Amino acid sequence: MTVVTAVGSRPLRPRRPTVPRIGWIGTAILGGFAALAVAAPLLAPYRATALSGRPLEPPSLAHLVGTNAVGQDLFTQLLSGVRAAMFVAVVAGSGAALLGGSIGVLAGWWGGGVDLVVMRAADVLLVIPRLPLLIVIVAYAGPGLGTRSTVIALTFWPEAAKVLRAQVRSLRHRDHLTAATGFGAGPSHSLRRHVVPEVGLVLASALVAAAGRAVMLEVGLAFLGLGDPNQASWGSIVRDALKFQGLFFTRAWAWWLLPPLLATGLLLAGITFIGLAAERWVNPRLARHVSGGRP
Amino acid sequence: MSPSPHDQDTLRPNRSGANLEVTDLRVTYPGPPPVRAVDELSFTAGAGECLGILGESGSGKSTLARALLGLVPDGRVEGRVGLGGVDLLDLDEKAWQEVRWRRIALSFQSTAALNPVLRVGLQMGEPSQVHLGLNSRQAAARTNELLEQVGLGPWAADRYPSELSGGQRRLVLLAMALVCDPEVLILDEPTAGLDPLTRRLVMDLLIGLVARRSTTMLVISHDADALEVLAARVMVLYRGWLAEVGPTPPVLTDPRSPYTWALLNARPTLASVKDLRGIRGDPPDPTEVTTGCPFFGRCHQGITDDCTSARPTLGPPEGEDGPRLVACARGGVVTLLSAVGLRKSYSVSAGGLRRSEVPGVDGVSLDVRLGEVVGLVGATGAGKSTLGMLLLRLVEPDSGSLRFDGQDLLAARGTPLKALRAQAQMLFQDPFEALSARLTVADAVQEPLDVQDRGDAASRHELVRATLAACRLPHDDAFLHRHTHQLSGGQLQRVALARALVLEPKLLVADEAVAMLDPSEQAKLLQLLKQLQVERGMAMVFISHDLSVVLRIADRVMILDRGRVVEEATGSRLLAAPAHPVTQALLAAAGRDLLFPPPVATFASSSPSGEARGIARPTEGLGPGTGSDPYHELLQPGGTQ
Amino acid sequence: MRWRVVMTSAVTLLAVVTVVFALPRAMPGDPLAALQDRSTATPISPEASAHLRSYYRLDRPLGSQYGHYLSRLARGDLGWSISRNVPVRTLVAAHLPWTLLLLGTSMAVAAATSFLAGVAAAWRRGRPLDRGLLATMTALRALPPYALAAFLLVVLAVLLPVFPLAGARTPFAAYGSPLGAVGDVGRHLVLPAAALGLSLLSTRFLLVRNTMVSSLGQDYMVLGRAKGLPPRLLKYRHGGRNALLPFVASLGVEAGFGVGFSILVESVFAYPGMGTLILRAVETRDYPVLEGAFLALALTVLSVNAAAELVMRRLDPRVAGR
Repeated sequence: MTVVTAVGSRPLRPRRPTVPRIGWIGTAILGGFAALAVAAPLLAPYRATALSGRPLEPPSLAHLVGTNAVGQDLFTQLLSGVRAAMFVAVVAGSGAALLGGSIGVLAGWWGGGVDLVVMRAADVLLVIPRLPLLIVIVAYAGPGLGTRSTVIALTFWPEAAKVLRAQVRSLRHRDHLTAATGFGAGPSHSLRRHVVPEVGLVLASALVAAAGRAVMLEVGLAFLGLGDPNQASWGSIVRDALKFQGLFFTRAWAWWLLPPLLATGLLLAGITFIGLAAERWVNPRLARHVSGGRP
Repeated sequence: MSPSPHDQDTLRPNRSGANLEVTDLRVTYPGPPPVRAVDELSFTAGAGECLGILGESGSGKSTLARALLGLVPDGRVEGRVGLGGVDLLDLDEKAWQEVRWRRIALSFQSTAALNPVLRVGLQMGEPSQVHLGLNSRQAAARTNELLEQVGLGPWAADRYPSELSGGQRRLVLLAMALVCDPEVLILDEPTAGLDPLTRRLVMDLLIGLVARRSTTMLVISHDADALEVLAARVMVLYRGWLAEVGPTPPVLTDPRSPYTWALLNARPTLASVKDLRGIRGDPPDPTEVTTGCPFFGRCHQGITDDCTSARPTLGPPEGEDGPRLVACARGGVVTLLSAVGLRKSYSVSAGGLRRSEVPGVDGVSLDVRLGEVVGLVGATGAGKSTLGMLLLRLVEPDSGSLRFDGQDLLAARGTPLKALRAQAQMLFQDPFEALSARLTVADAVQEPLDVQDRGDAASRHELVRATLAACRLPHDDAFLHRHTHQLSGGQLQRVALARALVLEPKLLVADEAVAMLDPSEQAKLLQLLKQLQVERGMAMVFISHDLSVVLRIADRVMILDRGRVVEEATGSRLLAAPAHPVTQALLAAAGRDLLFPPPVATFASSSPSGEARGIARPTEGLGPGTGSDPYHELLQPGGTQ
Repeated sequence: MRWRVVMTSAVTLLAVVTVVFALPRAMPGDPLAALQDRSTATPISPEASAHLRSYYRLDRPLGSQYGHYLSRLARGDLGWSISRNVPVRTLVAAHLPWTLLLLGTSMAVAAATSFLAGVAAAWRRGRPLDRGLLATMTALRALPPYALAAFLLVVLAVLLPVFPLAGARTPFAAYGSPLGAVGDVGRHLVLPAAALGLSLLSTRFLLVRNTMVSSLGQDYMVLGRAKGLPPRLLKYRHGGRNALLPFVASLGVEAGFGVGFSILVESVFAYPGMGTLILRAVETRDYPVLEGAFLALALTVLSVNAAAELVMRRLDPRVAGR
């Protein structure tokens, strides 16, 4: 909507957009998974590695999602996957976002040499293929969940850094910050009072994006065989399924292959929805546009 | 066979521009809340004519320009836009594509209108290829031709927009609008933000276009000086509504719509000695929809009911029947006081028993409009004070007529006279004389209310306090109980002012009101007077012998000598080139010679408003300076910016 | 300043190479012990151990190790595969072309589709086409590449046996003509390229669409319309041209992601590219192969990035200038 205002006339108060519906759906999904993760030890009927049933049993009351080729309960494994995914989403996601965010804020604030070095480092990381890098590092460092989360955080900070740096840079030279310096305020005051509140929203949205990325990576690594052998992950379930030679000759793929894929998709969808809602809330764009159609 | 770019006749069959007729144009943006950007606008631009559109930001002029090209996708456009007989608003998108640029083109204001990733030549050549069917070589030739015309050259075609300066980009936009030689050319702020040299260039180019009469032009601008030169007729927009339209000279030099009048008074010019007077109130909120006159809240002469019941329609202003039209419920700026041929002479003893007549005021006619400040200047004995008293009928004239607020002031008696008196007040020179020493401040200020029997005791008391506050005086009980001899001159004069204002008069005559004050108090009182005058929409006649004081405050100045008006002009024109020797003497006394060397000229006559030989009166507006005063051109309104 | 681009790439490459050098040596304890993973049951034979020792030159000081390492790389020597007993270079040469084929095809298809779709969606912003595409692309983005690959596999190779299940070529096939070989390779390429292309498509589409939308809101678009230009010119010459810049600029990053995704996709389809090589090396903890493969991939991506930057300089007038 374009409004006939210009310099000199009273600006209309911008409508504060409401949180889009999609955000609530995403939160609900995420909340559900979080609850499952917490309740998993109580809900799991068996131990993940125990041979609790006959191989390739279809879903039944005893085994809600059936069993795999060895006879392990798939429902338990799925629950274990929930815990793994949520752990990584939180730890690796916030790790990457916070690390990247801090680096970005400092680079944006100080500018000059610090900024240059940091941005070069970020650009290098962005260009090199990071999944292969992760593979190499994990191969050396070991497949524990904690290790993997740390490594993910250490390699995926550039995205958050770039976004926050841009934000801080645009704020840095605003007049109200210059005025604060005029009052005798030091950098810590200015950062705290003026910069942090403004970047909070952007940081939140970067955090959501990082969480999504982290989950994808964790599941991907597990799929490739670099997962924790002691903790089933959705990725490792899919891997086991695809490795089983006769998978497609039986109907077992329906309860072995599909559920972990769907679970992954659902969790990522939830995170994406939250991300979209956050983006729309933070950036109300009032752009008019030329398009095909009536004059 | 594709037309060659030099074949002027095939570029456009009709060489004289098209007739543009806009009827009841309404543009509404849906919102919410909905915004009416253009409000029932109707106007005509004849073939080959140049019509100026004067308005501030928010007046809807940009929306109008876009609407005439059908470029308002997110708004609803209603009404009729007739281009040579065809209703453009009826067209569908495909038909619009044919019409745009070819028949009607717009020279954008914002230089962001140039695509940063494409070369200038390509962007300029596009329309000629699309509309005129030129191939790329021919298009390039036409582009180069136009670039030369605007003072750039073929070198510009190879550049990207970022490689040109801001002024050069504006020239490119102008050249681009001319590519298809359109029948109607709309120019959006062609001179805004240009350096003097580029501005001169653009103006010359536009003047040439206007002279050729081959294109109908609409010039949108907030720069009244440019419009004075370019446009034959001008229309004034306020909030998307037409306030005044008519031939350029009368509209811009003698505006009759209250908005135009206020707008033109507000612009600073190099020669402006008068303090800026903004339009009171705030710029309009575009989402408000009013039923009455849109300017009502800020107009100095608005009357509830008359002005708020319905939209005023366009019509000739009161007392005129020419081509100019205003939309004002009160028929344009209202003449509050109209005096014709006032005469008053005193008999003075001429030795012994003989008496001779000394003319105090000898045939003076003047008009005072609501909201304006008229300055009366003259040496001692010129008749200023007499005239002031005459205007309020505090002294009976020997002959002449005097109308106040539409009524014959001289014929009024009794109750009607009393009512009229309340609306015009005087502020005297000596406050100690003007206020009785026996009364307290409260009594003195309340006296008029008592005389006119307004309200009850409590409300009168309140009004006294409020008026004292408005005059920047304390209004606590302690002050109210003080006596006049306890106050300083400046304070006392302000008390006198409060007394004059408590009846909320429409006219205030200030007779040498600051002459007896210290310079510092003078300044404060002048400031206060001006502010109150604007706020209350009061008219003021300011009488003084000191021209430099009057120049600061008056819209119009009249020079009196021996009971007659010898010169009348705006302050800046008087300062730039005074015609009459009396004026020159007054200016010299005020120190003008220190600022400007005296004009080299001889003046043979001392006829009142005679045009002394050798000095050109700056009444023609812009143009190369014709006076021999080296500062003459500098002081032309708008001159070299 | 083209050499600046090359310089930056060279510096980046050096950084990557150094990281690879430092990694095994950064692990706590005896580097060789780190090479023996706790989870794999197979111990390293003394012969392999000796090979590794000489390969890593662990008995020499660090500086000399680094120098030797760099000179070795400069000669194109990527080391010796422990598990397969051949030079790493040979393995890379056998597997890299398949990955390049897969990646190249996917990126090309993704680029063309995303650009056209992005421009179309932005042009009809808010309308059904735009909303539909946005929803679809957002959904695609949320799926991990191997999930996409698995779905495609299930639907188009299992349920409806349209395409082959695995591999790059039919094993032991004899072709009547070169066309036959191309056709066979092509058939095997379709599903993996589709999976990889789809995973890359979503981000590209969003980039194009969003840049295009902001382009469309600019004054020059209004002027373009005022000039009566047909929609085609407005969309592609004025709007699209602006959207092209960030599109090309991010090709390097896209290649980076693409390489990573290709590993996942290759795994699902048993496509004999670098992904398969790397995964086998992970299983057998064949570190030299891992390192060599990673370096090869990094070099590939850096080349794409450098090429993209060079093209950018031609396209962007703010840099191209006189």
